[in-house]
Amino acid sequence: MAAQDPDPTAEFRRNESWLFDTTAGAYVRKTAVALLTLVVFAFVLFPLYWMVVTAFKTTAEIQQIPPTVFPNDFSLEGFRLVVESSIQAGGYTSLFANLFGWQASSAIDIDILSLVLNSLKVAIGAGAIALVFGTAASYVLSRRDFAGKNALMSIFLASLMFPGTAIMVPEWELVSALGLFNTHLVLIFIYGAMTAPFVVWLMKGFFDDFPDSIIEASRIDQCSSIETFWYVIVPMARNSLIASFIFAFLLAWNELVFALTLLDNSRYTVPPGLLTFVQGFNTQWNVVAAASIIISLPVLLGLAYIQRYFVQGLTGGAIKG
Amino acid sequence: MSYSKQARGSFESVSERIPEGVKVYLPILPVTALVGLFILYPIAQAIYSSFFNKDLLAPSEAEFIGLANYAEIWSNPTIHQVLWNTLIWVVVGSSAAIVLGFLMGWLLHEKLPYTSVASAIVLIPWVLPRVVGASIWQFMFGGSQGIINELLVQLGVIDEYIVMLGSTELSLWPPIIGMIWRLAPLFALLTLTSLQGIDEHLYEAARMDGATPWEQFRFITIPMMRYNLAIGFLLMLIYNIRNFSMIWVMTKGGPGVSSSTLPVMIYRTAFVDFDVGLASALSLILFIVLLVFSYYYIQVYDQVRGDV
Repeated sequence: MAAQDPDPTAEFRRNESWLFDTTAGAYVRKTAVALLTLVVFAFVLFPLYWMVVTAFKTTAEIQQIPPTVFPNDFSLEGFRLVVESSIQAGGYTSLFANLFGWQASSAIDIDILSLVLNSLKVAIGAGAIALVFGTAASYVLSRRDFAGKNALMSIFLASLMFPGTAIMVPEWELVSALGLFNTHLVLIFIYGAMTAPFVVWLMKGFFDDFPDSIIEASRIDQCSSIETFWYVIVPMARNSLIASFIFAFLLAWNELVFALTLLDNSRYTVPPGLLTFVQGFNTQWNVVAAASIIISLPVLLGLAYIQRYFVQGLTGGAIKG
Repeated sequence: MSYSKQARGSFESVSERIPEGVKVYLPILPVTALVGLFILYPIAQAIYSSFFNKDLLAPSEAEFIGLANYAEIWSNPTIHQVLWNTLIWVVVGSSAAIVLGFLMGWLLHEKLPYTSVASAIVLIPWVLPRVVGASIWQFMFGGSQGIINELLVQLGVIDEYIVMLGSTELSLWPPIIGMIWRLAPLFALLTLTSLQGIDEHLYEAARMDGATPWEQFRFITIPMMRYNLAIGFLLMLIYNIRNFSMIWVMTKGGPGVSSSTLPVMIYRTAFVDFDVGLASALSLILFIVLLVFSYYYIQVYDQVRGDV
């Protein structure tokens, strides 16, 4: 039908503007859109491109003026320095010398391996806390009504807005008073507290939509409410649970303020560790870029998964992409 | 079957002993305790500390000074400059990120192929570790080898490389540009998702009624997106005002306080100058602003949920 009569509304769609009614106008529009696209996306993508090419330049090329837009020599020096420096800082130099006959020696000082291990520890811990506590709470908040429920949900939502800079000073005082300064444990708790409310909101959205008939069916099969939750609902919620965990993991992986103020540099996670190196004397940018790429990989993997849940959480589940 | 019976036994033996009225609250308790201790309690602590002259390294020797910290904020021109910087940062950074993000979202939805892949790529600046993004911009704005200096020279804007990050007049702007780069993709994603959520039939009906593209945009697109735009707007304000990493990595808030906003000033006051009392008072200002933004955020959020 559409083929016979391509656009029955054409005559009603006439516009007042020459931009829409003439061929010249169409070209102007198309050119404008193309230019706009180019400028906007160059702004977004160029810094990423710059990070990648910088990582593959030699140290000599980094210091060249003017900078080269493509690397002259495709070099892995940046990555090599990161790895060697980690080997050295971790005290594995002799091990590698014996095993491979390869003497790791690095003039730079950035121990990515231990930073990553610290971050993994904190991020997995925070993810687990947020997931378990958040999901348990969200189930009850979705299924039961009780006094103060809406207020509690609002407090959780508001608490997502504060962490970081607004409370770093009193947080320092609290952590010192608890005797937990310079422990990864306290960061796990804080990141858990920062992300659990998000998990509550995300999972509550899931439970609100969960069909009652399934729960009734399991009740007829003599499941208690806890059993229904554990054996029926949790398996079906797998995707949302994974998204919740990734969200908490990424926040902990990226967080700078608390890691910087509540840890000594011996126990730094990735963000303050990289910061120290960047702000150090005579920064070697190919090493920074190489290290940046390494520590960004988990984030990029997680992104692919959580993108749509992320919008859902921010907008109250109004739109489900 | 056998495993479920076993599990039921252990669950029930615990759960039978707890009265029903209390049981509802149990699963909520851990989150509430965690949030209460690590997020809400510190706010109360900040109120308390703001009335003291307190040294970070000797907190036990704190001395009650009433409102002196607030008087200091009221009269100190350095802090005024920081507040002014914060205002510029929030207004310029948010509006630029919103305009750019809206354009990006619209282009992704209307004009570009491979929308899902393209939007994931566009979102990278937002999810990249904060320090990584800020480091890239610091490198690009570098005074001796920075690509942005080279670009400006090529375009004829400047004659020779300038040290933007070390200049009192200019240092506020590079971090704002970095922040726009980080936040615009988030707004683009919100725009894109809400554009995708609009029913095509609405446009069809409008076209039947003779609506021009502009009218369709004005009377369908914008109204349909209003909640998401409101949420996006508030998120831009919130993320901009509480940002620390972009500035701290690029300029450390310097030279002087020329590129410091409130969060950077709080950090410097507490952890460089060790003045916990003044830093707490500054934190409270930031907290109150965030509270206002959050209030509106929750209002919009409730509206969204009420409408769906």
